[in-house]
Amino acid sequence: MHERLSFHIKRDSAIHRLNPLTKLTLVLTLILLAFLTPWYWTPHILAVIFIPILSVIGKVAKEYFTTALKLILPAATFLFIMQAVFQPIGEEIIFHFYFLDVTQESLMFAFRNAMRIIVMVSAFTLFLLTTHPSELMSDLTRRGLPGQFAYVMISTLQILPQMQAKAQTIISAQRSRGLDTESTFLKRAGSIFPLVGPLVFGSLAEVEERAIAIEARGFTSKQVKTSFHEIPDSSNDKILRWSLLFLILVSIVLNLWHS
Amino acid sequence: MLDKIKSNFNTQTWVLIPIAIAINIAVGQIVLLLKLPVFLDSIGTVLVAVLCGPWAGALTGALSNVIWGVAIDPGALPWWPVAFFIGYMAGRMAEWGFFKSWWKVVVTGFVIALTAAIVSTPIAVYLFGGITASGSSFITAYLLQTGQGIWQAVVSTSFLTEPVDKITTAMIAFAIILGLPKRTIGGYPKAANAEAEGADKNQLYIAIGVVVLLVLFAAFLLRNILGG
Amino acid sequence: MAFINLQNLTYKYPLTKTPALQNINLQIDKGEFISVIGANGAGKSTLCYALAGFVPHFFKGEISGEIEVDGIASSKSTLDEWVVNVGLAFQNPFNQISGAKYTVFEEIAFGLENIGVPREQMKSRVEEAMKLTGISNLADRSPYSLSGGQQQRVALTSILVMQPKLLVLDEPTSQMDPIGTREVFEVIHNLTQSGMTVVMVEHKVEWIAHFANRVIALKDGSIFMEGKPSDVLTSDLLIENGFGVSRYTSVAREAKKQGLWKKEKLPVTLFEAAEGFKE
Repeated sequence: MHERLSFHIKRDSAIHRLNPLTKLTLVLTLILLAFLTPWYWTPHILAVIFIPILSVIGKVAKEYFTTALKLILPAATFLFIMQAVFQPIGEEIIFHFYFLDVTQESLMFAFRNAMRIIVMVSAFTLFLLTTHPSELMSDLTRRGLPGQFAYVMISTLQILPQMQAKAQTIISAQRSRGLDTESTFLKRAGSIFPLVGPLVFGSLAEVEERAIAIEARGFTSKQVKTSFHEIPDSSNDKILRWSLLFLILVSIVLNLWHS
Repeated sequence: MLDKIKSNFNTQTWVLIPIAIAINIAVGQIVLLLKLPVFLDSIGTVLVAVLCGPWAGALTGALSNVIWGVAIDPGALPWWPVAFFIGYMAGRMAEWGFFKSWWKVVVTGFVIALTAAIVSTPIAVYLFGGITASGSSFITAYLLQTGQGIWQAVVSTSFLTEPVDKITTAMIAFAIILGLPKRTIGGYPKAANAEAEGADKNQLYIAIGVVVLLVLFAAFLLRNILGG
Repeated sequence: MAFINLQNLTYKYPLTKTPALQNINLQIDKGEFISVIGANGAGKSTLCYALAGFVPHFFKGEISGEIEVDGIASSKSTLDEWVVNVGLAFQNPFNQISGAKYTVFEEIAFGLENIGVPREQMKSRVEEAMKLTGISNLADRSPYSLSGGQQQRVALTSILVMQPKLLVLDEPTSQMDPIGTREVFEVIHNLTQSGMTVVMVEHKVEWIAHFANRVIALKDGSIFMEGKPSDVLTSDLLIENGFGVSRYTSVAREAKKQGLWKKEKLPVTLFEAAEGFKE
């Protein structure tokens, strides 16, 4: 079990050094380009060439490809097959399978959709690999995001692995008392409560004390919060952000003009 | 408006939200493991919505998907508006008094399901062309093959799958709230919305019964659709 | 005028019938080290919450009487203003980890960030506080990876760094070994020497006897006994009413019955017991 939920790899690279907001804008731009530009091959080029190059620049290529192969590719493949087989579009039938027709159009459609999803997911993966969550939150808080959001995001990332570990413990405990996750449907349905109950009640009982603890440390203070971390935001960052926004604008215009 | 939103959030709300998100995800994963025909991945969202209010519920829902997206499965990301409105609607129903007895909670679950169906349809159609990576897409695909239009197929699928899941979710959240000591609930902004009418114990037993029946019904439904 | 002034304080939690605190009158001077003892449910934690502002601001419920710290009435203040002057650390260290931070250093800085301390001062204040409690070596660890005792030190440091005038501690050493406990008591003792006022709920009576200026024994929400540690902790009344006393006191008490303890006063610590039996 991970002690905490974070993909972040601590390294020094041009991408690591970018301001978190700049990286977030980059992710958004990549996704919007993949979905908006009218040219069929845009998502493919982004997914297969552009984002991998970025991962090399960010010195996280190895971790990026591991994640891509383990997580992203299987999901995208599944989506591709589902769409290729079930999408009832096109005339030119390539092959026939029971009542299902796979046409050239449905193949092309599925291919692009899978690539779009790959762009979306891998752009985020790259962002997570090169950005520490507390860096992101410090920067966004400095820009005016209420401090409570930073609290919620980061404590969720830390509570979740604990909760998953607890869930594991409860499942094994219930198993040793005879619960079988492979048994009949009725038994499995009935086992929701003994599984969910202990997990939920334990953590809900802690809420009050945890609220007291952070209030004792000024959580509700009306002072303007300060931040220990100083997140650099260079003029290059600003230029890059504006150019990315311009790129988004262009793709929106192209999209509207094309359709 | 801003004051209304603010009234949902005290320190206990902020502490509860991360726990609720973790409950959403952890329970969702347990249910997956038990191979039950429901998702139950918004129990935490409904809890926050009832105890703290619609805006807190909406935030919990949206953040659940964002965090599920960035930490576990990025495919969950585009569905955040669905989770947002599930939380919002659950909170609104609770404010209207529809979280105080078992049959009212059934109504709430049904309304949440309708909300989810309506919000998820455009996302499924525009982003995925109707076929998503979720198991229920087999139903959509089947309906598409029978000649239904894409919107109709996606909406029908949602109407088939959502109510059972969301009514079960609402019922479990109701059972949890009934099971909590009154003292624990008192500190949340909208604790009064969760005060059960009548005897707690009876409500609890009925709620548990309804959950089990619903899950059975879902299994029956699935077997008939996929088998047929 | 005393630094802390509780007058006729009676308090009832919501949904409960009996008051958790009943007619408490208590004056504490600046720089005093007060120890609070009592059985479970005697009102120790409620007293801590009252001093720290959480009763009634956080818990609501019914309150009557006055709580005053440094001339300011709790009823005329808000919780977020109150916690700047009064720090609270309690027993369960796990629930005191904010969760919002990845390292011990950041965790301790959390309170300073919240009350808007400028970045330039933050680093030195955090380092100083960590040095004081002896956890400088933990700075880069995750708070969740620490032992219970270490987490308790982090919780204490996170409050100390905010430099409160009054420090309220509810069993802050429950998960520490004897050496750790001693160190924490020494740190707190030194702080009172430099003017900080400390109210501490604690079971470890030997350490109380060693360091505290005054002991307050609570029973059923009221002050049962109050005075110097050597008087209160050895009183027969205390023992007969089920308060925990030190094993040296119990031994000497038995010895006295059999004529083996010659002194008038019973011991609390090992040192006092050894001295007494020498005679």
